[in-house]
Amino acid sequence: MKATNWILTAFLVFFTLTTGAAQTGSTDFMRSMGKMYVVVAVIVAVFIGLVLFLVVLDRRLTKIENQINDHG
Amino acid sequence: MEKLIRQYWWKALGVLILLYVFVVGMLVPLKPGITLVAPSSAKTGQELILEIEGYNTNFDKAEDTLRMWLKMDNERSLAAKSIDVIGPRNARVAFNIPDYLPSSQRVQDFALVIDNPIDGASVRPNAVLITQDSIDPDQGIQQWVNENMTGLHEKQGITFPFRNILGETIRNTYFHVSLWLAMMIIFIAAMVYSIKYLRRLDNRYDYWASALTSVGLLLGGLGLLTGAIWAEYTWGKFWSWDIKQFTTLIALLIYMAYFVLRSAFPDEAQRARISAVYNIFAFIALIPLIYVLPRLTDSLHPGNGGNPALGGEDLDNTMRMVFYPAVIGWTLVSSWIASLLYRTSQIEEYLWDKWDEDDNYEK
Repeated sequence: MKATNWILTAFLVFFTLTTGAAQTGSTDFMRSMGKMYVVVAVIVAVFIGLVLFLVVLDRRLTKIENQINDHG
Repeated sequence: MEKLIRQYWWKALGVLILLYVFVVGMLVPLKPGITLVAPSSAKTGQELILEIEGYNTNFDKAEDTLRMWLKMDNERSLAAKSIDVIGPRNARVAFNIPDYLPSSQRVQDFALVIDNPIDGASVRPNAVLITQDSIDPDQGIQQWVNENMTGLHEKQGITFPFRNILGETIRNTYFHVSLWLAMMIIFIAAMVYSIKYLRRLDNRYDYWASALTSVGLLLGGLGLLTGAIWAEYTWGKFWSWDIKQFTTLIALLIYMAYFVLRSAFPDEAQRARISAVYNIFAFIALIPLIYVLPRLTDSLHPGNGGNPALGGEDLDNTMRMVFYPAVIGWTLVSSWIASLLYRTSQIEEYLWDKWDEDDNYEK
């Protein structure tokens, strides 16, 4: 649970940073170099998504392990 | 299938293909293009001086061979009077605009065409709007000093197309569009397993359908998310209720309900049968929502509102060499993740059955 919270927080921070940048007009960074950093942000988003999925699978396996331990 | 999920070659293949997609998709440069032409409007009978900013251009190296035109239509174009090169990406160009244009429109749009042997030819459509004080096409034809654009060059080497507004984000084709196609393949596979389940009533098929559907949802969710980020910097808003954004969101919600439905049935056989039927219906709903409805009205997405999808300058042959591998790579890696989910549910089922038997034995 803790790991999911951490990743969700990191993701929300990333999202608010990019939206915040869009609102304050300092979009120069994201739009610099022919908007190359938009591609970077998209790849980071895909990576975070895959990691989140890994965390879900991790928790499911932990649950099974705990149950095995319970059954001795 | 049981053997295949323990083999590594296809998982390694998927990872290698994605590695190729990342490297080539990020490193191949864009074709030279024109990012800025200022001012963007002018009047007739003046000397028009334009400030030009290029992208990936080599104006300084090609100074002596640099040529520019204002193009009105396929027959008429006006050559530049003089060109001052300021830097590799900046130049100042002067045009003599005649008193009358060979056009009966008050405001005529012109494309700017730049050509040199190093960068090849690049075009900015609707670069300048020229307003006529009075309209006289006959005078215009007489005054027009036409210079046909001949001997245009082609950029050498491997490049991706340069598109205004998109710029480098055209690379998102490999990290956004390909996700949707991979999602489609995964959902088709999930539907096939649901049909198989209904034919054979074998629980393993139900586990496959469930695993594939959750991976398909992951791909779809990432597709929406990456699309929103891309939209912010090209359409101006993360979410603009574009018809395709809207319909794909609905399609994903329908697929999310699949898992709500599954959790509502404690009985295994009942759960498997009803969710298999629901999965087939979800797929049947997905096709019109993604491929039919967005084409009926105007959309910000290319390939909608009557435009051909995935064609022309949006996906040229160089991009296809990265795009199709990207689809295959994402599909293989997603299948790998789905197989992990499937194996986990197999273990769960095995253990729970075993423990149930133990409990019964103890009683």
